[in-house]
Amino acid sequence: MAYPVSHKTVFVLDHGPAMMASSKENIDFDVFNKSRGPGIIPLAPVTKSLWTCNAEAAVEYCRIVYDLFPDDKLVQFVASDTSATSLNSWQHKQQNVQKLLDCLVVLGPPGHKTDPSDCSIVHGLTHAVEVLCELTEKQQDVRLALEETETTLQNKGRIICMTSLKSDRHVQSLQEAVQEAIIQHNQLSANADSFMPLNYCELVFVHVRPVGRKSDSISSPKKSVSPLLSVEVHVTDSGRSVATKVVGLAQRHYELFSTTVTGIPMKEEQNSGSSANYDVELLHSRDVHLEALNSGNTEGLLIQSKEGLPSQSLTLKWCTPKSNIMELQNCVGAYRVTPVDVNSRPSACLTNFLLSGRAVMLEQPRKGGTRLISHMLASHGGEILIHILSSTRSVLEDPPSISEGCGGRITDYRIHDFGEFMKENRLAPWTDQNIACDPLPLQRSENHLERMTRVWPIAIGDTMIFNMLSHLDPLPSLIVKDKLDDDEVLECKKAIYHVVGMESRNEPLPVPNAGLRTKGSKREEQYRQMWTELETLIKVHVSNSPQHQKVLDCFTDCHKTDGGNTSTIKQRDEAIMELETDLAVKELDTYQKLTEREKFDFNKGNSLSQPQSPPVKKIKTESFMFKPVPSSSSPQSLHTMWTNRLKAVHAMRHVEFAGRQESNDNTAELYPKLNETKSEVPL
Amino acid sequence: MGIGDKDASFQFPCTIHVLCLASPQDPTIQASVSMYKKIIDIYGHGGEVCIPESTLSLDSTQKMFCQFFEEHCSPFHGVLECGHLECNIHIFPKPQVYSKSHDFEDVELEVCHNIKIVGFLDTSDVASPPFISRHLVFPLPPQTANTDAGASDEAIGDTGKIPSFTVLLHGSLKVENMVAICQVGSEWYGMLYSWADPHKKKSNLMLSIFEPGVKSLPWLGKFTHLAPHQIFTASPYGEDDNKTPFPVKITEKRSYSLNHVGWIKPAGLQADIQKVLRHARKLPEKMPHFYKELNRVRKAALSYGFTELLDALSAMLDRECRLLPGSAHPDAALQLSHAANALRTEMARDITQTITPMSTKYSSIINEAR
Repeated sequence: MAYPVSHKTVFVLDHGPAMMASSKENIDFDVFNKSRGPGIIPLAPVTKSLWTCNAEAAVEYCRIVYDLFPDDKLVQFVASDTSATSLNSWQHKQQNVQKLLDCLVVLGPPGHKTDPSDCSIVHGLTHAVEVLCELTEKQQDVRLALEETETTLQNKGRIICMTSLKSDRHVQSLQEAVQEAIIQHNQLSANADSFMPLNYCELVFVHVRPVGRKSDSISSPKKSVSPLLSVEVHVTDSGRSVATKVVGLAQRHYELFSTTVTGIPMKEEQNSGSSANYDVELLHSRDVHLEALNSGNTEGLLIQSKEGLPSQSLTLKWCTPKSNIMELQNCVGAYRVTPVDVNSRPSACLTNFLLSGRAVMLEQPRKGGTRLISHMLASHGGEILIHILSSTRSVLEDPPSISEGCGGRITDYRIHDFGEFMKENRLAPWTDQNIACDPLPLQRSENHLERMTRVWPIAIGDTMIFNMLSHLDPLPSLIVKDKLDDDEVLECKKAIYHVVGMESRNEPLPVPNAGLRTKGSKREEQYRQMWTELETLIKVHVSNSPQHQKVLDCFTDCHKTDGGNTSTIKQRDEAIMELETDLAVKELDTYQKLTEREKFDFNKGNSLSQPQSPPVKKIKTESFMFKPVPSSSSPQSLHTMWTNRLKAVHAMRHVEFAGRQESNDNTAELYPKLNETKSEVPL
Repeated sequence: MGIGDKDASFQFPCTIHVLCLASPQDPTIQASVSMYKKIIDIYGHGGEVCIPESTLSLDSTQKMFCQFFEEHCSPFHGVLECGHLECNIHIFPKPQVYSKSHDFEDVELEVCHNIKIVGFLDTSDVASPPFISRHLVFPLPPQTANTDAGASDEAIGDTGKIPSFTVLLHGSLKVENMVAICQVGSEWYGMLYSWADPHKKKSNLMLSIFEPGVKSLPWLGKFTHLAPHQIFTASPYGEDDNKTPFPVKITEKRSYSLNHVGWIKPAGLQADIQKVLRHARKLPEKMPHFYKELNRVRKAALSYGFTELLDALSAMLDRECRLLPGSAHPDAALQLSHAANALRTEMARDITQTITPMSTKYSSIINEAR
């Protein structure tokens, strides 16, 4: 078990007036005047102060750490002048670059008016020791967890102090102060709740001098001062060099490695028609290239960092993305990345491309021209990761097909139905932290699967009821729910009555073509099997809720297993009557809720069709009959329904013949006066 | 090759097992064994040295090999479960014990023999997750898993006709392009999916085992927080199956999606100044953009204590004002000199303040229009 020093880092920033000295590095900021004619004299370059350069470098360190390790790598800023000020805390919500920048604004640059003799970096260093003794959220959790195992948490941390050192003796006195502070604070925090003695501290001095100043050789490699403390001193020029130095430290502290993605095609800013190839350098955990680095197989791949980092970078070539990138890749690792120069245009183009959801394959250029796709860049939920793709051979090559094994020769699996089942059982993240989900969401998923699979025949030939879903719907999908409302119970009952009706009319059941693996092809046998299956299905869910019991009650009323004696039939008829009354009452309820206009439409609709509307389920079996069936007693065919409808429509457009309207028996008499006039016509 | 020579190592991970055909009494064996152990250490992926017990004989050699096969080549049998649906399975290669020292915790886990499906996801939603190992999953007939494995080979001809949940699962995963998320141990998960060899002729059910832990795939959220989609008031997959709740978005944005201001390289500073200038030259039309960029640069300058830049910017805006062509809108000059003056005041150094446009006839029209 490792207790990394890198879990907690304190940046001690010298905030004394000496830091307001110029870095002596000129920056031309007025550079875009060439197109504006010769008359313009560029403005004088600006210079940053030592403080500005240090703050930029420290923020850059944090940017990289927070991008790559958002969970367990924490950084705290401490400014030191006449006293020490913590800018942020170990709390997770204070661990981001924006928070640090906001705090730096409030702090402001070092004051000119402060008396230099009152200022000391020792304030910051001792305060840093104190904050290292504070437990982080993670450490508190771990300490709790470890109490059970009787091992103790090791509290370690690192201090990076950015200041200007005068001499070796100065370094000596500072490290003594830190050593002293550790001993003191360890005593103080021995029995405190949210504090813990420091087991080990790594003190890193970064001595910053203005550009061009002669070097005092006080740089020293890491050496151990005591079991509690080690010290190292780095010397760097101010300006850009200090950031390079500090990022180099970050690479060492977090074991980072660099990858240069080469040959990224990008449209030119000025001339959007043409495109050029760019390189972008990324930082990430060293583990990304562990295999290549350990095997030493990096010939021709390593270059010196193009962004000026004090390290090498491994080159990988951009492969133009293909459309089938959403296939599962053989990915053996994924690590967060961040661009070395986050502000540059090529970096922004690459990151935006990836954040838009596309993935890019990266290829290792090899001697001999063979192509080896070794990595993939892709974003997930707003962060970019480099995926390591497996390129070595494996023992999984050339396996037998699944169809050659057990169960492989069966051809009537319910593949499609199980596909629907899988869609029904898709998972979704429970992200709302405010609403407690009890039991745990995953437990609920398991419970759901358990309910859904109580009766689930896997082959078509194994089941009767799942081959006649059009007759049973929606019962099979409703009965698996953990609760049913009254309407759903009614729907289930209807489905049961429907099959009861089928049986009483002696309709054939849709037997699967594949041939049932079970015995019995007679119709009664099939019905018996269907009833058994349906009973099993309803019974396994009966304890889900009291409403489920109602469905089972209905089932037992309709289908007594002890045979069809008269009392059952009577009960069944009574039950059906009851259901029909239920339906009628419901219909009446809905009718009364309608507006006048809706009522009118409803009535009109009713008058168009026959009063006894046909059960929907039967359409399937009877639609083949085209000859009109005498209505009233037997159910209508689609043909009669259609002709009735046409008749009704025509009837509305029809203007009755006046003669018939006046007549008595619906027959108009033609030429009624013909006989009369004949006799009266004068000759 | 010399021992300790890094270049001698293979360019791929491999374990080395040495089975010595020598008598344990042989005086030279100790030297050989220590050398073999050294080689195994150099390769770093584990392995072992075996020597026959007691004397070198047919029996002891057989025993040594049997023990070796028992340990390394015995099949891993288990049960694949999905609610009440289940199937005996054989997992190949045998899953290894996970033993790793992490920050703050040591993890040692064994893959459980009951592989329990907890739900399903679309292949595009799991998005090529990293795995620590991959295994083929072969269905076994219902009874043989517990009985003598030797007999099963002959019975294969008949078992082809016994319906197997594994085969059904494979078929549906392949047709629907989905994966099944399964639990393989305590706080340890994996996924099952249809996998075809590169020639796409033979497909099989594959189990990928993820890094242990409930948060090992951040874009799926916590595994323990994966819920059946029915419990949400609005379906996370949309009414017409046209959306997806994945990936789970990170709460803190990364620097590359934050429009982070960094001036370590002069180019970064120059680009930000250029942005202000571009808008300055299109005043008064670009007035809102101009002030937005100006305040952005000002805030960054204050964060880094780079107050000298404020004066330089002020000088630059003054010059822009002088260089304005005669045809320029009168407001351009007014706004430029207003901004240049504002940058020189104490107020520009107060982060709670914002430099706002000077109120002119034109700016009030703009404001009303907005």
